[in-house]
Amino acid sequence: MRPSGSVAAPSIVLLLFFGGHAAAQEARAWLERMSRAVEELNYRGTFVHVLGGTAETLQIVHRNEDGQTGERILSLDGAGSEFVRQGDRAQAIFPDRRIVLFETRSDSSPLVSALPSNTTEFSPHYELELGESSRVAERAAQVLEIKPRDEFRYGYKLWLDQDTAMPLKSQLVGERGEVVEQIVFTEIEIPADIPASDLEPTIDTTGFTMLRAPASTPLAAEIPWRAMDTPDGFRLSVATQSSIAGSDTPVGHLVYSDGLATVSVFIEASAAQADMPDGFSTAGSTNAYSQTLGDRKVTAIGEVPRRTVRRIASSLVAE
Amino acid sequence: MTDQINDQISAFIDNELSADESALLVRRFERDPEARARAMRYTLIGASLRGELLEPHPSVLRQRVAAALAGGPVPSVARPRERWTERFARPLLGVGIAATVAVVAIGALRSLNEASFAPGSAPALAETPLATRDSVVAPSYVVPESTGQSRAQAPIRLTNYLIRHGEFASGLTRTSVSSNVVGTVMEPLVVRDEAAAAKPVPVAEEGLE
Repeated sequence: MRPSGSVAAPSIVLLLFFGGHAAAQEARAWLERMSRAVEELNYRGTFVHVLGGTAETLQIVHRNEDGQTGERILSLDGAGSEFVRQGDRAQAIFPDRRIVLFETRSDSSPLVSALPSNTTEFSPHYELELGESSRVAERAAQVLEIKPRDEFRYGYKLWLDQDTAMPLKSQLVGERGEVVEQIVFTEIEIPADIPASDLEPTIDTTGFTMLRAPASTPLAAEIPWRAMDTPDGFRLSVATQSSIAGSDTPVGHLVYSDGLATVSVFIEASAAQADMPDGFSTAGSTNAYSQTLGDRKVTAIGEVPRRTVRRIASSLVAE
Repeated sequence: MTDQINDQISAFIDNELSADESALLVRRFERDPEARARAMRYTLIGASLRGELLEPHPSVLRQRVAAALAGGPVPSVARPRERWTERFARPLLGVGIAATVAVVAIGALRSLNEASFAPGSAPALAETPLATRDSVVAPSYVVPESTGQSRAQAPIRLTNYLIRHGEFASGLTRTSVSSNVVGTVMEPLVVRDEAAAAKPVPVAEEGLE
């Protein structure tokens, strides 16, 4: 018996709905696998990072031994700087300046939070879509696109390793589809183990000046400023005072996020920032907008389109 | 790898190498994985900077290699106005930046330091002072070349904002997923700021435990 039109139509709708739901679920699963892969896998490789018309080639070794992670990253261009982290201890080596910088990280596993564990938060504002299969760095890859639903945020196109979900290539995509920023591995291997010796710095630092960053004191004070006209989905997640490098007084700091994109708003006395002009500044995928509000200088900054930072900064009021 | 080989690879990709030299270089690719990998990277970078779509094996390199092997005419491509390697080879640690941030953020930081600013409106707002707290002198991640106040100071402040912001941005939004591999593992460190009260403390040479 052929189904009547009145029966078939809802069936098709349900099929499309559940089919789309399943696809979205699968896309989310890929995203969450990727988040874990970046942290948990052992890998070494070389990737090219293109940002703002400039490219840099970097070599990376990432090691995970019983949950203790570390990286060694070497810039193959320019001054050949090298960065090494093991657990919560990190050092950066600048051979051109003959300087080694040490620091203690407060978070030893930051990559776990590289992506929201619950994609529900940003789902209303982005569409997740699995794309075609491809190849990157001689490995089979699954394309995953994160498309913004409005013009206030960027999109992402990710090429994830079919076997491990390791991101092999990523693009930050602007509202006109232009690639704002791109990362692509030219070679990568994902071995079961990586010896600890691979994380040893390769640069001989004999005779270098050793510097250590003093511990910073977190400030928990509330501040009275709020943005009153944020794009849909951007919610206040942090309102505090921050110690900012180069400033001798605390700086008001608000953080707005839609679950994926994040915008910081900094507020400080305009007299202290008299030299900083109002308006936009841009650096690759990062946009900033500064303006003077009374005796305050307000700067919104984030990896979002210009209109977003301006809208947020312009709507700031004191409650 | 010598500068001469690097130059040859660059010229090969830019279609500036003779047929004989190209053939020699391709033979080197067969036995020298480092040279082959470098050629691939250069091709990817060149394609990226020209805004071309990247493929797993960029067609430009494939065509160059095929032509060199065949001894036939080398396919031509539109020449960039500036050889990409000239830009590529510029030091990525900009003047005035003496900090470690995310390796991948270095380009962004430099761009900020070179940023141009457009005048904008400045609507008034009720004056509400920030809650006053004990003065906290934060270290400076960047060291201005001069101590005088100038427009050059502003991008440094923006750079420091960016660094602070990076601590709150999700990994994906910070620099996109792969760069997060790099980005989140690096924190700003103090270098030296004569004007700041909190100065970095030279320490005895030490390594990671």
